Amino acid sequence: MATDNGNGMASLEDARNLAEGATRNVQESAGLVQAVEALATRLASTGNEQAAASEQVRAAMESVAAHVEETGLGVHELVRSQRTVADSARGLQQEAEATAGALQEVNASVSGVRKDAAHLAASSDATAATLEQVTRSVKGVSANAEDLAASSEELLASMTEMNATVADLVSRNQSSAAATEEVAATSEEMAKGIVRLSADSQSVGERVSQVSNAVVNIGRVLGEVARDAASMASGVEQTASTTEELARSVRGVAEHARTLETHAASTASTVEEVAASVEEVAATSEKNAAVVDANAATIEQLARSAQAVARAAESINTLAAGSATASAQLESSTRRVAQMTEEARAAAERVGTTAREGGATVGRSIAGFGRIRQSIVESSGVMKEMGKRAEEIGDIVQTINLIADRTNLLSLNASIEAARAGEHGRGFAVVAEEIRALADRAAAASADVAKIVRGLQTTAREAATATGEGVRAADEGAALATDAERALSTILKGVEDLGQNVREVSRASGEQVQAVQALAQATAKVSEQGRVITISATEQAQAAQSLAQSGNEMRRMARQTTQATAEQARALRDAVRSNGQLAEVAQKVSRAMQEQAVASADLAKGTTHMRQLVQGVSGAVAAQSKDVAAVGTLSQDAAAATQRTLLGLAEQAKAATEVTRAMEETRKQVAQSARGMAEQARALKQGEVASRQVAKLAAEVTRATDEQAQALTALVKGADEVRRVAKATSRALDEQTEALASLTGSATRQASGVAAVARASAEATTVTEGLARSVEEMRARAREVTTATAQQVRASTATAAEVREVAGRLAQLTRLQGEQAESLSRLSGALGGARNTEAGAARSREQQA
Amino acid sequence: MSVLHVVFKVDGAEYALPAADVLQMESFTGATPVPGAPRHVAGLVQVRGRVIPVVDARVRFGLSPGERNLDSRVVVGQLGDRVVGLLVDSAREVLKLDPAQVKPPPPLVVEQARGFVKAVAQVGPRLVMLIDFPRVIGEEAPDGDGQR
Repeated sequence: MATDNGNGMASLEDARNLAEGATRNVQESAGLVQAVEALATRLASTGNEQAAASEQVRAAMESVAAHVEETGLGVHELVRSQRTVADSARGLQQEAEATAGALQEVNASVSGVRKDAAHLAASSDATAATLEQVTRSVKGVSANAEDLAASSEELLASMTEMNATVADLVSRNQSSAAATEEVAATSEEMAKGIVRLSADSQSVGERVSQVSNAVVNIGRVLGEVARDAASMASGVEQTASTTEELARSVRGVAEHARTLETHAASTASTVEEVAASVEEVAATSEKNAAVVDANAATIEQLARSAQAVARAAESINTLAAGSATASAQLESSTRRVAQMTEEARAAAERVGTTAREGGATVGRSIAGFGRIRQSIVESSGVMKEMGKRAEEIGDIVQTINLIADRTNLLSLNASIEAARAGEHGRGFAVVAEEIRALADRAAAASADVAKIVRGLQTTAREAATATGEGVRAADEGAALATDAERALSTILKGVEDLGQNVREVSRASGEQVQAVQALAQATAKVSEQGRVITISATEQAQAAQSLAQSGNEMRRMARQTTQATAEQARALRDAVRSNGQLAEVAQKVSRAMQEQAVASADLAKGTTHMRQLVQGVSGAVAAQSKDVAAVGTLSQDAAAATQRTLLGLAEQAKAATEVTRAMEETRKQVAQSARGMAEQARALKQGEVASRQVAKLAAEVTRATDEQAQALTALVKGADEVRRVAKATSRALDEQTEALASLTGSATRQASGVAAVARASAEATTVTEGLARSVEEMRARAREVTTATAQQVRASTATAAEVREVAGRLAQLTRLQGEQAESLSRLSGALGGARNTEAGAARSREQQA
Repeated sequence: MSVLHVVFKVDGAEYALPAADVLQMESFTGATPVPGAPRHVAGLVQVRGRVIPVVDARVRFGLSPGERNLDSRVVVGQLGDRVVGLLVDSAREVLKLDPAQVKPPPPLVVEQARGFVKAVAQVGPRLVMLIDFPRVIGEEAPDGDGQR
C-alpha cells in the first residue's frame, strides 16, 4: 500500500523537480533580461535626472550646513539633560538599595513562613500517610481496575485514531488520483508552451547582441562621472559615521533608561506579584486553617466514632463471651438431656416388659371369669330345681293345713255336741278336746313347714337373682378383662412406639450434642474474633486520637502560618509603596532620557538625510558606470542563457512526457492503495468495536471498584485536602520565594542598570563633544561637493540620449521573457497543485471511507 | 259352775259366746247375697239342709269387710226359734268360763260398742269379750235394723 503510494509520489516528485528546474532556468533568464532592461531604463532616467540630482545635491548640502548648526544647539541641550539624568540616577540608586533591604526582610519572613508551612505539610503528609495506609489496599484494586479501564480506553482511542488515520489516508489517496490527472493535463499544456518559448528566445538573442555594442560606448562616458562622485562620497561618509556614532550613543543611553524603567516596572510588578502571592498565601493559609479545623473536627469525630466502635466491639466481646458460656451450658444441658433420654428408653423397655406380663395375667383372668360364669349357671339350675320342690312341699303343707283345719272344726262341733249331751257327753268332750289339740298341733307344724318352705322359696328366688347378677358380673368381669387386655396391648404398642421415639430422641440428642459442641467451638471462635476486633478497634481509637492530636498540632501551625503570612503581607505592602516611589523616580529619568533621545534622533535624522543624499549621488554614479558595463556582459550572458534555455526547454518537454507517464502509473497505484485502505479501514472498524466492548467491560469493572474505593476515598479526601492545601501553601511560598529572589535579582539589575545609565551618560557626553568637532568638518566637505556636482550635471545630459536607444530594445526582450516566465510558472503551479491535490485527495478519500 | 263358751276372733280381738246358744260351727265357703237386705247381712247359706241368714260381724262391728279365707267361720246360733249365722274371722277353741272370771264392761266401752259387749272375761293374760248375741244379730234393735 505505502510502497505503491511511495512509487507514485516519487514519480510525481521527479516530474515536479524537472518542471521546477525549467522554471528556475527561465526565471533566471527573465531576471537577467529584466535587470538589463531596468539598468538601461535607469541609465536613461539617470542621465536625465543627473543634472537635476546634482542641483538637488547642492541644495542638500546647504541644508546639511543648516542642520549642522541645529545639531550644535542640540548637543548643548543634551549635555544639560545628561547632568539631570546623573542626579536622578543617584537618587534611584539609594531607593533601589532601600528596596533591596526591605526585600531581604521580607525574604527572611517568607523563609520563616515557609519553614512553618513545610512543617505543616510534613505533618499533613504524616496524617495522609496514616489514612492512605488504611485505603491503600482498596486503592490498589481501584488503581488496577482503572489501569485496565485506561488501557482499554487507550486501546479504543488508538483504534479510533488509527481508523481515522486510515480513512484519512484512503480519502487522500483518492483525491491524489484526481490531482495526478490534473497534473498530467497541465504537463502537456506546458510542453506546448515551452516550444513556443524557444522560438521567441531566439529572436531575443539577436536583439541583445545589438544592445550590447551600444552599451559599451555609454560605459566609457560614465567612468569619469563616477570618479568625481566617489571623492564626494568619502567626505560625506566621514560625517555620517560620526553622526551615527553619536546617535548610537544616545540610543544606548535611552535604551539604558528604558531598561531601567522596565526594570523598575518589572520590579513593581514583581513586588505586586509577590504581594498578590502573599495575599494568596494568606487566603490559602486561612482556607488551610479552615480545612485543618474541619479536618480536626472530622478527625475528632473519627476518634469518637472509633471509640464508639471500640465500645461496641467490647460489648460484642462481652456478648460473645456470654454466648460462649451459654453454649457451654447448652452443651452440658444437652448432655443431660441425652442421659435422661437414655434413662427414659430403659424405663420404657421396663414398662413394655411389665405390660406384657400384665397382658398374660389378664388373659388368665379372662379364662377364670369364663369358669366362674359356668359354675354360676350350674348352681342357678340347682336352685331352680330346689324352688320347684319347695312349691311341691308347699302344696302338701297346704293340704295338711286344710285337714288340720277341718279336724279343728270337727273337734269344736264335737265339743259343742258333747256339752249338749251333758253328763253323757263328758268323755266325748275330752276326746274332742284331744282331737282339737292334735289338730291344732298339726296345723301349727304345717304352718311352720309352710313358713320354712316359703323361706326356702325366697332363698331360691334370691339365689336365682344372685346367680343372674353373678353371671352378669362374670360377663362384665370378662369384658373388663378383655378391655384391660386391649388396653394393655395398646399400652404395649404405645410403649414400643415410645421406645422407638425415645431411641430416635436419643439419636437426635447425640446429634444435638455434636451440633452443640460445634456451636460451642464456633462461639469460642466468635469470641476470639470479637476479642481481636476489640483489640484492633482499640488500636484504631488510639490511632484516631493521635490523629486528633496531630490535627490540633496542624491547626496550631496553620494559625501560626496565617499570622506570619499576614505580617509578611504588611511588609510587602510597605515594599510596594517604596517601590512605587522608586518607579516614579525611574519614570522621571526615563522621561528625561526620552527627551534626550528625541533630540538625538532629530540630529541623527538630519545626518542620515544628508548621508542618504550623498550616498544616493555616489551610488547612482557608481551604479551607472557599473551597470552599463554589466549590461554589456549581461547581454552576452543573455545570449548564452537563451541557448541554455532552449536546451533546457527540450529537456523540459522530454521530462513533461515522462511526468505524464509517471502520473498514469501513480494514478493506478493510488487506486490500488485506495482499495487496500478501504479494507484496512473495515478491519479497523471491527477492531474498534471489539475494543469498545473491552473498554465497556473495563469501565464496568472500574465503576464497581470505584464504588468500593469511593467510601474510603471520601475518608482520604479530607486528608488529601489538608495535604493539598499544605502543598499549595508550600508551593505558593516557593513561588513567593522565587518571586522574591527574582525581585532581589531585578533590584540588583536595577542598581546595575542605574550604574550603566550613569556610565552611559558619561560616554554620551564624550561622544557629543566628538560630534561637535565632526560637524565642523562636515560643513567644509559640503562646500567641496557642491562644486563637483555642478560639473557632473553637464556630463550626464549627454549620456541620457544614448541610453534611451538601448532601453527601447530591452523592452521588447523583456516582454518575450515575461511570456516565457508566465508559462513556466503556470506549469510549476500545476505541478504544485498536483502535489497539493495528492494531499487533498487523501482527505476526500477518508470521507468516502 | 263354769259354762262352756265358744271363742272367736274379729279383727284380732277375742269374743266369746255361750256354747248353749251355738248349734254348730261351719266353714264359710261363700254366701248368696240377698237383694234389699241390710249391709251387715252377708247373704244366705245352707247349713244341714236349712237356709239361714249370715250377719258379717266385721261390718256389724263398724269395721271394713275382711278377707274370706280358710280360717273364716260361720257360728250358727239358736235365737229363740230362729237360726242365724254370724261370720267371724276365725273360731278355733272352746273355753269354760267361771262366773267369777266374768265382769261387766266399763261404761265407756258399753256406750261405744252399742251394747254388743255385755261382759269381759279375764283368761290368763287374755281378755275375752262376752257379746250380747241377740243385740249383735239385731233382734232387739227398736229401729228395726235387722228387718230392713
